[in-house]
Amino acid sequence: MKFQLLHTLDLTIIIAYLIVITAVGVYLGGRVKNAHDFFLAGRSLTWWIIGLSIIGTNIGANSYVGAAGNAFSIGIAQANFEWIGAIPAMIIAALIFIPLYWKAGVYSIPEYMGLRYNQSVRVVAALITSIVAVFAIGVALWALALTLESYLGWPIWVGIIVTGTIVGLYSIAGGLAAVAFTDSLQVCIMFIGGLIIVGLGLSETGGLDGFAMTLTSENPNHLQAYLPADHDGYPWPGVILGLGIVLSPAYWCAGQAILQRSLGARTQWDASAGMMFAAFAKTFVPLLIVFPGLLALVMHAEIQYPDKALPWVIKNVLPPGISGLMFIAIIAALQSTIDSGINSTSLLVTRDIRHVLYKNANPENDLKIGRYLTLILLLLAMCVAPVVAEMGGIFTFIQTVLSLFQGPMLALLLLGAFTRSVTPTAGLWTLISGVAVASVILAIGTNMLYVAFASFIYSLAALWLISQFTENDPDKDLDKLTYSPWRRG
Amino acid sequence: MDITTLPVAWANYISMGGFFLLGVIVWLIPRRLIYAGAPDDAIWRDIRIWATVLIAMQVILYALFD
Repeated sequence: MKFQLLHTLDLTIIIAYLIVITAVGVYLGGRVKNAHDFFLAGRSLTWWIIGLSIIGTNIGANSYVGAAGNAFSIGIAQANFEWIGAIPAMIIAALIFIPLYWKAGVYSIPEYMGLRYNQSVRVVAALITSIVAVFAIGVALWALALTLESYLGWPIWVGIIVTGTIVGLYSIAGGLAAVAFTDSLQVCIMFIGGLIIVGLGLSETGGLDGFAMTLTSENPNHLQAYLPADHDGYPWPGVILGLGIVLSPAYWCAGQAILQRSLGARTQWDASAGMMFAAFAKTFVPLLIVFPGLLALVMHAEIQYPDKALPWVIKNVLPPGISGLMFIAIIAALQSTIDSGINSTSLLVTRDIRHVLYKNANPENDLKIGRYLTLILLLLAMCVAPVVAEMGGIFTFIQTVLSLFQGPMLALLLLGAFTRSVTPTAGLWTLISGVAVASVILAIGTNMLYVAFASFIYSLAALWLISQFTENDPDKDLDKLTYSPWRRG
Repeated sequence: MDITTLPVAWANYISMGGFFLLGVIVWLIPRRLIYAGAPDDAIWRDIRIWATVLIAMQVILYALFD
């Protein structure tokens, strides 16, 4: 397949895209005067930029590269990651958690955890999030390098260095504003590319009816939203309990990379509306990442393994020029994950770890430190990328790592936000023991969806129980740190 | 009760029920919190309405792919 996919027109479009993205990022860099500008875009983002940027951050390595392949294998059930596994949590994040974080006046979710519990919880939460983020950025870099190898024939290491350099340029210069703006542009390209595939795909397969008929005649379960309870990968009770109740709320209500653009909104309303707008876009994301997998199936694609479904569609369905645009959409999806990841991780290390561990840290140095850290994290992820690739499937790897700590994190967040009785000591011990419990449950071969649910239930119980025997901090401003919509003031 | 013994269609019913419940919760949130920080009180800025439309779309999707 090397070199066969792209026409001169495609290459021209790709080069133009890369120049525009870099130029926009560097231009916005001129507006960054301090850490507030760098990490929170000077609290200037509007709701539609926030919404598009959230989707850009969300659609990443585990979407374009893996979801089309998964859809090829399991059908529309893959869309659960975009529907039941996202929309309810996004609505709750928009209406409850984003207003709570705004009221607390924080830069990050670990900072909120630090205020609600103690500084140890803040550091542990920031540390776990940062380590996972470096791996996730490594995965995204690897996936991007693989894409460049498949389509352009570039060696993997060249792909990693070129991608790292471009993303690094605009992220280090422009901070969150550049990241959010380029993400928005990237999402528009993704939707244009995806909708063109839908249009051309349906016209080649006899319209919507012809498509559905061919699909279901050969794969009767591929238009069913859920898979049987004994399915190995995605049993429906696991999807509802693990994904719907734990992993998704933890990701959307406590994910720093996602929520950072909400905290950079110009008003609280923009922050909430941005997340709600993202939920609308999210509803249609299966058209971009699930449909190509189903289309490859309907068109009887002869591919060695499911992950080749999307490249096959691009090669066989799209005309020159448009395949270049789709290629850009894939690059854009991965780039937006990488840039958001390094910006948010840089914030966590600069403020949530450095400020707590080094009491004499000067906040005026945050901008300089943040930029250096962005570069260091990017280099670290570039080194980690080849190692991560050897650890198994991209999609499974990220989901597995997340399932270990998202249960405990969500338990801390929920009881911390909705009750006044949980204590700082209980928070710290629950976080540490919850991750340990999840690791043990995973080690005995339990499906990751059930691991997430079991560790969440354990953490709820542990947090409540330990709180009964430990002291609360009387100085905490719980009015500001807990959600109580019917209390005035 | 062992939910794994239920037919797959129940997963759709449970999802739709969950969305209905969420729809109720959304409308329990006071209006003053919804408009906090909004430049005006135009009705389109009431994001509870956005949430309701979203929820309706999800219910339709899970009814469709049953």
